Amino acid sequence: MLKIIIQKELSIYFRNLNSIFLPLVLFFLIISIFPLVLGPEKKLLEKIIPGIIWITTILTTLMSSNNFFKDDFNNGIIEIYLTSDASVELVFFFKIIACWIFTCLPIIIFIPLLSILFDIPFNSAFVIFITLFIGTPILISIGIFGSALTIGLSKNNILAPIIILPFYIPVLIFSASAIDSVSIGLSYEMQIYILLAFLVFILPIMPYLLKYTLRFSINN
Amino acid sequence: MNISKIANLKFFYTRTKNITFFLSVFSFVLFSVGIFWGLFIAPEDYLQGNSYRIIYMHVPAAWLSLQTYIFMAVTGFIALVWKVKIMEIASIQSAPIGALFTIIALVTGMIWGKPTWGTYWVWDARLTSELILLFLYIGVIALYASFKDKRQAVKITSLLAIIGLINIPIIHYSVEWWNTLHQGPTVTKFEKPSAHISMLMPLLYMFFVFNIYFLTVIIKRIRLGIYLREKNSKWMEEYRND
Amino acid sequence: MEISVNSATCYKNNVAIFNNINLSLKNGDVALISGANGSGKTTLIKSISGIQNLESGAILLNNIDISHRDSDFVENIIYIGHKNSLNSDMTVHENLVYLMALDSSSKIKDNSRIEKAMNYFDIQKYKDYFVSDLSEGNKKKTSLARLIISDKKIWILDEPLSNLDNFSIEIFIKLIVENQKNNGISILSSHYDISKKISNVKHLEM
Repeated sequence: MLKIIIQKELSIYFRNLNSIFLPLVLFFLIISIFPLVLGPEKKLLEKIIPGIIWITTILTTLMSSNNFFKDDFNNGIIEIYLTSDASVELVFFFKIIACWIFTCLPIIIFIPLLSILFDIPFNSAFVIFITLFIGTPILISIGIFGSALTIGLSKNNILAPIIILPFYIPVLIFSASAIDSVSIGLSYEMQIYILLAFLVFILPIMPYLLKYTLRFSINN
Repeated sequence: MNISKIANLKFFYTRTKNITFFLSVFSFVLFSVGIFWGLFIAPEDYLQGNSYRIIYMHVPAAWLSLQTYIFMAVTGFIALVWKVKIMEIASIQSAPIGALFTIIALVTGMIWGKPTWGTYWVWDARLTSELILLFLYIGVIALYASFKDKRQAVKITSLLAIIGLINIPIIHYSVEWWNTLHQGPTVTKFEKPSAHISMLMPLLYMFFVFNIYFLTVIIKRIRLGIYLREKNSKWMEEYRND
Repeated sequence: MEISVNSATCYKNNVAIFNNINLSLKNGDVALISGANGSGKTTLIKSISGIQNLESGAILLNNIDISHRDSDFVENIIYIGHKNSLNSDMTVHENLVYLMALDSSSKIKDNSRIEKAMNYFDIQKYKDYFVSDLSEGNKKKTSLARLIISDKKIWILDEPLSNLDNFSIEIFIKLIVENQKNNGISILSSHYDISKKISNVKHLEM
């Protein structure tokens, strides 16, 4: 069963390769707009680039998680999930992982390239990489929760981000502070551990929460 | 079981009509006394002068903004777990009240900030947390508003309120932590302008008054919620025709 | 095995969709729910399968309330909605494999059941077609194939006959009769009067 579920989630993304490339392109497009708006001064960009990377990541994850359940809702597979006696939580778990692999992992992989573009020192780039690696699954999970809350609504494009953005704040604070700390030579382990704690807490709960939420939210 | 639940709504609706009137008058009187006490009787602060007096609005409002969120989440939890309809109504109807308290706390905080910090807004931990709390309230209200089927909507907003309550301490402490990182301890503490007993008493009194006000408004709003939900039912027609 | 609907009432947008519905089905029963458009057939079917919340009343399976679907007592029920529950980016065969994986009662989980189901509904030749390329009738048949793949006894079907041609309707009715013989319970909504072809149909007019 496990194999079939994982296969299905992966193959769906592979059949729409757009879904991998478009978030990545969007990410780079937004990032490259910042120097155009703020001016190419190296000092300024150096200071704010971690923040820019994180804000851009948020935008990208918001967009890709917003319609997470839309297809399943429209073609009625959600109803199968809710009436199935198999452990749907497992399905949701792999759906979250698949969503992360195909929308966030490409961005994370391209961080080295980004660090060349903006001349980010290796230390900082490494911490940006780590915080994104731990932080984005949390953001994706929360975003998917938002999409589950608003699934029954026909016009939910802005509502879900409004609901979930406040929940992003702790992740952002600790990630930004880790990057900040390393750039001024302080230790950043604590922030990483806190992020890890968030991740370990949220990832196992989320599939159950999603199932519970969908039971209410698909009826409207 | 079902009948007793509907009867419960009916019981609440029919019995609270006179109570709300009494409570409204009561909270108005209490509030006037509190304002007089805070503005005229309480002594002047030796550091901040008279400008500190706005804490008699600000601090209770800030407390109540949090307390109302807890109320919303706890009633939401009861509604979801034990399927008590009146708790569903109480949960969603408390959201606008909480948002109002949050706005009062923010506005009074800004007014207090002008003479104290020289600017209406600083990104201090308390104000920032309060602002995020406002966004949390807006999220709940907006979610409720966008559902056509309000009976389903209350279940979903209850769930969101519960998740939000789990998150509030996390958000609060991370914001506080963020604040100490970026500003250091130079900012004067908001809440304790040398807590002399003659200044503290009106504050506690105002906290009590705000609670009474909350009780008044929540009962009125629950009545409104019951009316909106049951306006087509027989007992409501009979009751309103009497 | 007994499934019953006890004074079920359901509201949408503060309006009663249905009020005080009662229905009791035992082994070998077939229930036909019919009514005009908007009479609440789909909502009732969804309530019985636990997707729609009831305002009051209960759905009892062997005297256990399953209307909230938070228990494991539901393993004998299969629900097929009027949406086909098929992923349009996958082929017919892949869809059936996936749906079988989501269904813990079909423990055998081998392809022979899928082959059998596809042969029964005569969709073998579309095996490797993407669902998005199928006609509506063939999509319906694909989703109905789940009935053969799983070995559940209680079938809850919303408009199973829509988009089917006459020949397929006959095939489907045969399947219902077979379930009746196997002491299963079928609940379906339709405009089509199946009671001429199946004996002992309980008719619920909404």
